[in-house]
Amino acid sequence: MALLQIAEPGQSTVPHEHRLAAGIDLGTTNSLIASVQSGDPRTLADEQGRDILPSVVSYQADNKVVGYAAQAFSIDDASNTITSAKRLIGRSLADIKSKYPSLPYQFCGDENHPEIMTRQGAVNPVQVAAEILKSLNHRAEATLGGELTGVVITVPAHFDDAQRQSTKDAAKIAGINVLRLLNEPTAAAVAYGLDSGQEGVIAVYDLGGGTFDISILRLNKGVFEVLATGGDSALGGDDFDVVLVDYIIAQAGLVRPLSPSLERQLMQKACFAKEQLTDHEYADITITLDNDQPWQQRISKAQFNELITGLVNKTLRACRRSLKDASITVDEVIEVVMVGGSTRVPLVRSEVEKHFNKKPLTSIDPDKVVAIGAAIQADILAGNKPDSDMLLLDVLPLSLGLETMGGLVEKVIARNTTIPVAKAQEFTTFKDGQTAMAVHVLQGERELVDDCRSLARFELRGIPAMTAGAAHIRVTFKVDADGLLSVSAMEKSSGVESSIEVKPSFGLDDSQISQMIKDSMSNAADDMQARMLKEQQVEAVRVIESVKAALVADSRLLNSEEILAIESTIKSLSDVSQGDDIKAIEQALKAISDSTDIFAERRMDSSISQALAGQAVDKI
Amino acid sequence: MNYFQLFGIEASFDVDIQQLSSSYQTLQKSVHPDKFVHASEQDQRIAVQKSAHINDAYQTLKNPLLRAEYILIERGIDMPNEQHTFGDTSFLMHQMELREMLEDVKSSGDVDAALLEVQNVLSSEYLQLSQMMRAQIIENTAASNSAACDNLRKLKFYQKLNIEVDRLEDSLFDD
Repeated sequence: MALLQIAEPGQSTVPHEHRLAAGIDLGTTNSLIASVQSGDPRTLADEQGRDILPSVVSYQADNKVVGYAAQAFSIDDASNTITSAKRLIGRSLADIKSKYPSLPYQFCGDENHPEIMTRQGAVNPVQVAAEILKSLNHRAEATLGGELTGVVITVPAHFDDAQRQSTKDAAKIAGINVLRLLNEPTAAAVAYGLDSGQEGVIAVYDLGGGTFDISILRLNKGVFEVLATGGDSALGGDDFDVVLVDYIIAQAGLVRPLSPSLERQLMQKACFAKEQLTDHEYADITITLDNDQPWQQRISKAQFNELITGLVNKTLRACRRSLKDASITVDEVIEVVMVGGSTRVPLVRSEVEKHFNKKPLTSIDPDKVVAIGAAIQADILAGNKPDSDMLLLDVLPLSLGLETMGGLVEKVIARNTTIPVAKAQEFTTFKDGQTAMAVHVLQGERELVDDCRSLARFELRGIPAMTAGAAHIRVTFKVDADGLLSVSAMEKSSGVESSIEVKPSFGLDDSQISQMIKDSMSNAADDMQARMLKEQQVEAVRVIESVKAALVADSRLLNSEEILAIESTIKSLSDVSQGDDIKAIEQALKAISDSTDIFAERRMDSSISQALAGQAVDKI
Repeated sequence: MNYFQLFGIEASFDVDIQQLSSSYQTLQKSVHPDKFVHASEQDQRIAVQKSAHINDAYQTLKNPLLRAEYILIERGIDMPNEQHTFGDTSFLMHQMELREMLEDVKSSGDVDAALLEVQNVLSSEYLQLSQMMRAQIIENTAASNSAACDNLRKLKFYQKLNIEVDRLEDSLFDD
């Protein structure tokens, strides 16, 4: 049962109820959900007592199966059973085919929006992720006994904008409110940081099934400041399996292409052997070939280490680079945190220890540490710890830029810039009389457009005809606290802001998402309506409460006229919010927002100057 | 309010990074969007703006070159843009030499030693220039500000070269 909480005197005028919140580690191979209960963050188990939910969805004739049940279909029904969907979201078909040439799926859809053909029809990888999120959400609501206020979902630190957006879209389709997208290494640092109360620089080495992240953070009085982050979005423990599979294929004299079920079997056997070699010097690999003949061979830990050395070294190079980016030497790092199931591989542990010259921390289960950190952050964001001093300052993992003449990328925001961030860059026209401009937004570190990730393209129209170089087009990039980008553009000399249309190069647009939400609900249209009305009513109550509280606290920042104007918009919103006219509520919300814009800004400024004044007093 | 006032620190080229960082964290604790998750959309929007502004100010004052540029612009010095031609030919000649030195690393017998050599040359010349610029900014006369401006542009050349060095290092490892 959720306990009612009462605020400490002087902290909050309104006591609020404990809000249910959870942290979700949406992993490539396994996913988990955790929540803070009675001050203690813990992972939530399913009815069989299992914490882990394999990130597998199987599309059967008349239902969708998720997790262990789906895993059971993964060999015999490989083409309808989707594993590691996280590796596919926000990626183009060409990307997928070059990186994972032997996936047992039938791809359909277009180049930039690949889908997988299953017996239930075409499925987008985002929908697969949504199924996993739904299943976890269901588990949490059953365990915690109520609807969740929101969740924090973790993503690999180096996930690009398309991958982050796709993750958020998946939550939207699953009907889950996302409080924040949190980088996995930062989550792990939170899980450890709050335990140890350490201050100083820590490194988080996160090797999961499909991705590798390294983050360098500075901990100071509850603030987690990410200094630099790096890694490889296509390197993980699964790659250890891949090199082992290649080795087995060579040893067994097999020739690709192999049947989907044999590919799947090889992957599973390789993974099993890898796990065996964590605690044993040898592993025996037994395969049933397509002709039902068995094949068997023993592999030693030394042989396995030799196969994966190149991959492990690649992770260490990324560590070196991130330390350099953070202007930190190896000796300044006081702790190394190990995250991700693949850090169980003995060679990984020993090489990381050698590189950082200290024994890495492994006291929290590397499979659970990310979900636990996310749960702690979710609890705070949900408002359950109003006196918490914790603050996470994260960074943009990959530079953002625009295409300029000659197929070059002009960087607008450099990687490792703390978010949120807003930056503007000015561009000009190339030809006399040019009235439109194609804007191409890219992400990555390389100089050439072809080597970077295309995020979006849009056209800026209605530029007044001028001589080449006379127009000043100001393109503004804004990255929010989730690391998500929005772009706007305007022509400066004419002062006219031209309308822009941003088409995501990858991932889904709004109409596709709402279609998927409809598809996933039984009484589509009615449910949508009801859900929107409920959301608007909740928003109305929230806004009224917060504006009233603001008036009580800071009416000194307003003159009596301004106060009257605001009070009248509160009254109209409160009147319409009882009814079921969504449009009217929307308008009243807009009116209240307009009437309080200046007030809100003054309040924020006043709190900024107060914050520093408080600090000055502290010093005396 | 300029960036120095924002953080409540003295407007000078020599910034106490510890104090800057502490003010920065204090300010972020009051405006970061994480503190406004349940606030109205309006408050959330303003929080993002303020937080982004404080981040930008912090990055600017933390980084010596950005800080120098900010101070010079605040003093009303006209900062020539990067495409603007650079008059100091001997400096440009020297830059070409450095680039050649960098290009020769790949074909050298001992790649590691050659790379280290380039890095040492770059960092000692960078240090020298940045000390000159610091003194000129502190002097704060019309002539010294203009000279600081030139040195800032030169330092940016070195910054670009350092990025090239990083790229080279990456490509050597990837082979």
